[in-house]
Amino acid sequence: MDLSRFPAYKHKLIYDFILAPPKYPLMQSYWFGDVGDGRCLPFAGDANAIINRIHSISTQMEIFIPLDWNLAVDCGICSGRVDYLARLQTVSIAAAERSVREHYAGKDAELLQMVRTLDEMDTVINLLSERAADWYMVRHPAFSRKYRRTPAHLLVKTMREKSHGALGRVAGEIEQLGETRTALAKEVSARANDVLPNTSALIGGLVAARLMANAGGFLPLSRLPASAIQVLGAKTALFAHLKTHTPSPKHGIIFQHRRVHNAPRDIRGRVARVLAGKLAIAARLDYFRGVAVPEFLQLSQDRIDTICKGDQK
Amino acid sequence: MIWLGEVLVSRGEGGVYNERMLGGARVWEPYRSKLAALYHVGKGIELETSMRVLYLGAANGTTVSHVADYAEVVYAVEFAPRPMQDLIEVARRRKNIIPIMADATRPDLYAPLVEAVDLVYQDVAQPDQAVIAIRNCVFLKPGGSLILMLKTRSVDVRKDPREVFDDTITALKEAGFIVQESVWLVPYHQDHAAIVCTKPVM
Repeated sequence: MDLSRFPAYKHKLIYDFILAPPKYPLMQSYWFGDVGDGRCLPFAGDANAIINRIHSISTQMEIFIPLDWNLAVDCGICSGRVDYLARLQTVSIAAAERSVREHYAGKDAELLQMVRTLDEMDTVINLLSERAADWYMVRHPAFSRKYRRTPAHLLVKTMREKSHGALGRVAGEIEQLGETRTALAKEVSARANDVLPNTSALIGGLVAARLMANAGGFLPLSRLPASAIQVLGAKTALFAHLKTHTPSPKHGIIFQHRRVHNAPRDIRGRVARVLAGKLAIAARLDYFRGVAVPEFLQLSQDRIDTICKGDQK
Repeated sequence: MIWLGEVLVSRGEGGVYNERMLGGARVWEPYRSKLAALYHVGKGIELETSMRVLYLGAANGTTVSHVADYAEVVYAVEFAPRPMQDLIEVARRRKNIIPIMADATRPDLYAPLVEAVDLVYQDVAQPDQAVIAIRNCVFLKPGGSLILMLKTRSVDVRKDPREVFDDTITALKEAGFIVQESVWLVPYHQDHAAIVCTKPVM
């Protein structure tokens, strides 16, 4: 635990300070005004102006004196305790609302929810399909999925057409969910192309969006080192590796990119590593420039192509 | 604290989170709230109507609303926007909750808003919980109390919770706190401990 920045004497300093205020004039800035040296400069302005003021004040904690609400009365800001709290609450609620709004105004806030909804829809569709198939098999004792090449969605279609009552309706709902999922995936991809142009160009919009969601947002992704991007989404394997020395994971989410999962096993790790390296740069470009950088993309594609051919380290 | 038999309650407007009511008072569930759990397993700090409280890690305002029922004013600090939306709604219904969207590791950013308080209550999922507590105790009046809800798993998942517990107590003592009580919150919460300290008058 790092306590070096907050040694006990500093706190003693603060106690001393409260008991024996310094002789030299020292302004303290509070939300309602600046106080010190026997004077008070009340701050005039609406809640918005006060919020801007709060954000602009930089408090030095070493010489900070916690505010005494009586100062606000002396300052002529409020008439008494109840009035003080009411005013402070108005300001604080407005400030909190503004912070929340600003947080959600980021380009990534909605994309994050879209990706998570998409992944959860996949889970739900799979679970429901499995359950419906089990139900269908009870009704059709001779039915088996073995040696059939029927894709899951066609099986659901068959179940809907051949089943009466609730089972047919459930199968219908699964189909509907599937359509919504496809539409959502397209939106995610389009938005990722817009928000993460370089990352999306390298790895596809959908996977780029998943990387961003897994990192926890746009800024966190742009701050990740390549080694972390490489194993993003392989948490279980990574912690198993750290704890019990199983082999380290070669890839996480980026495995979903064809270049990685189509690569021959023996160079797959290398492809993942190089791709992750380029993705780390791409994410930074996306965050700090916000536009596609064709030269970078061309060089990166060439480099990854070379690795995929497997004739270079 | 107000007990109706074995049940801890607080008196205030109900319906904040569909809490159970008992004799017109709001039931304060120890399984839901760590502070309520502390009053069940230990002594804690008696909340009084004159108290000013700094609450770090306010989350959705569930426990905050109960503290506000007892205290004069609660300065509720929360960093994440999603729970903050709920906390704002709770604050709107009560005159004595001051919501602050800020990082508890940076008291300098909300210092202009918070007055000197009688109690600092901290329940944050951060690795450096002792440091956060110490840093925020500039707001604590001499003789005031600190209740630190230690989430040992947030400090280090690989460390033994008891070791984290001991380290934290040592850190608080080194910073000059007098540790009054330290208890595990079993059976209500796993791997959580409450540490109650006071800031020396001099």
